[in-house]
Amino acid sequence: MAHVSVSRLESLLESAQLLHASLDLDNLLKHLLRTVMGRLLVTRAVIAIDVGDGLRVAMARGVTDAPVGSRFDAARASALGLPQQMPIGLTPAVGLLATAPPARPIVDEEERGFFEALLGIAATGISNAHSHAQATRLNRDLDRKIQELRTLMELGRAFSRVSEVEEVARIFGLTLAGQWMATRYAIAVCRDTFGTVSRQQGVKLPPLSTYMDALHHLPEASLVSDLQDGDLRTLFEAHKLHVVFSLRSGEQVCGFAALGARPGGQTYASADLELGAGMAAQAVVAFDNCWHLREMLDKKQYEKELAVAAGIQQGLFPATLPDLDGFDVAAMNRPAQQVGGDYYDVLTLTDGVSPACLFCVADVSGKGLAASLLMSTIQATLRALLGREDSLAELACRTNELLFATTPGSKYATAALVMAHPATGECRYVSGGHTETLLLRASGERIWMGATGVPLGLFPGMTWEELSFTLGAGDVLVLYSDGVSEAQTAVFDEFGPERLADIVERERAQPASTIIDAIVAAIDAFVEGAPQFDDITLMVVKRT
Amino acid sequence: MPHPFKVHRSAEGDVSVLHLEGFLDAHTAPVFEQAIQAELDASRPRLIVDGEKLTYISSAGLGVFMGFIEQIREQGGDLKICGLSPKVRQIFEILGFQAIYDMVDTVPDAVQRFTTSPTREA
Repeated sequence: MAHVSVSRLESLLESAQLLHASLDLDNLLKHLLRTVMGRLLVTRAVIAIDVGDGLRVAMARGVTDAPVGSRFDAARASALGLPQQMPIGLTPAVGLLATAPPARPIVDEEERGFFEALLGIAATGISNAHSHAQATRLNRDLDRKIQELRTLMELGRAFSRVSEVEEVARIFGLTLAGQWMATRYAIAVCRDTFGTVSRQQGVKLPPLSTYMDALHHLPEASLVSDLQDGDLRTLFEAHKLHVVFSLRSGEQVCGFAALGARPGGQTYASADLELGAGMAAQAVVAFDNCWHLREMLDKKQYEKELAVAAGIQQGLFPATLPDLDGFDVAAMNRPAQQVGGDYYDVLTLTDGVSPACLFCVADVSGKGLAASLLMSTIQATLRALLGREDSLAELACRTNELLFATTPGSKYATAALVMAHPATGECRYVSGGHTETLLLRASGERIWMGATGVPLGLFPGMTWEELSFTLGAGDVLVLYSDGVSEAQTAVFDEFGPERLADIVERERAQPASTIIDAIVAAIDAFVEGAPQFDDITLMVVKRT
Repeated sequence: MPHPFKVHRSAEGDVSVLHLEGFLDAHTAPVFEQAIQAELDASRPRLIVDGEKLTYISSAGLGVFMGFIEQIREQGGDLKICGLSPKVRQIFEILGFQAIYDMVDTVPDAVQRFTTSPTREA
């Protein structure tokens, strides 16, 4: 420095101030080029800087073959006609300044010392500017990461306050669109029992069911262009969707979220795929929670309906059986579920001139509310028709027609009907597809009376045969549903009609209600705690 | 506790100004959506969103802008954003909103921008 003149010192001072005042690399390099080109009187110059991967052109003046960012070195500089080359900084050099042959060459040591000092100052400035740029970039990345975390937290918070799947889809879609500035997106998710939830903006994809199978191998997150499944890739590409995230409940893919292009040709980077996968995972939990809630509400609603149905059904069974002259009658019903499908009734009427009674055991198809409604139809029909029909067979015909007309084809009932005259013990019997009825004679003879026609309500225009018999002293008549004879043990052994008859024979001297208790006790002992699959209904009639 | 959010409307000639106030997130977004929809329904696609009193915006809130911008520009209008506090403006900028939305300081600046650049490529 001792050799540098005052005017040069002033110039250096000015440069030092300029170069160190600015952290903007562009300004800095411009100033450096201006100073050097002015002092050497050249019109062509290049500054190349090494930012870790070798020298690359950072700024050029008057040289068209050295685009910014291209590789550069001493040989290249010479080839471009830039023989005057000076390192920028010494230990180590951060760059290289190359110019055309100077019109005013560096002639003395002082001039050389000036340039060394200038380039030394510039080197410090360039390093500072680089550090600053790097810090700015890191800060921006950090800000972006913080924003991503905030989005995830925000999403979790938003999801925790919703209970409808449609609302989850809405929030998810808005957040995806905002996070990546996408104007197009599609979300579709499916749950077997609840169907599909879909939300789309700027996209009209076909129904999820048409390509659900292809989704099973969808990765957690993927660029559409990287999808293995060709059909799926074609579908998403046709709808201009660029990235897709799978929605998976456990290992099972239950849907997806896909996004269109980002503005300005930005692509989805691996950090974007990670963030999207995180958001998708949160969305799945939210969807699941909503569905779970809906399941619970549905179950509650169903239980409420069942309770109503059970109440209706209980009202259909006679609270107490009428006191009948000449007959001792008892009956019981134990449904397998809260609401069963069996029904029994004892009705009194005048059959022509003499009083009579109708014993009925029926088994309606189906269970639950529908069964109990059908049951009430049968009861109302029987009660309405009773006494207007000349024969029991006609009663069956009329009931059949009414049931057929008022219920769907799949609904029907099997029924055993017995019209009995207390004075004489004369009985008439009709069975619409019902399980056998037992008549145990005082003699011990077991008479099994089967169906005399098809179930009621199944086909129109059917007829039923009518059997007649007389119930004598000591005889026992047992009407029951197939839940009695088909009561099963855990290994599927059936109770069977003969076992039933054995109990009745053993207890025949007892009152009807005692016989029923004995049968029920025998069934329970037989099945040894195995769950009851079908309704159990029993009616026992004896002469008094 | 849900955060309060309000949209207040004013007009500068044929330009509608929607003044946002409070916290724009997933739950308050529908309020903003309705406000924009009302302008489009009335064929007023020249919109300024004034965020001077906007205290926070989430990605879902930003999603509202994306949901309407194509429709707005197809109708020959635009949506200019102004008045954002530095904190809120930073959220817009991190996600790159300045690339497709004009973002200026004040409502008059935004009105002025409509004369120089009535719409942009969507």
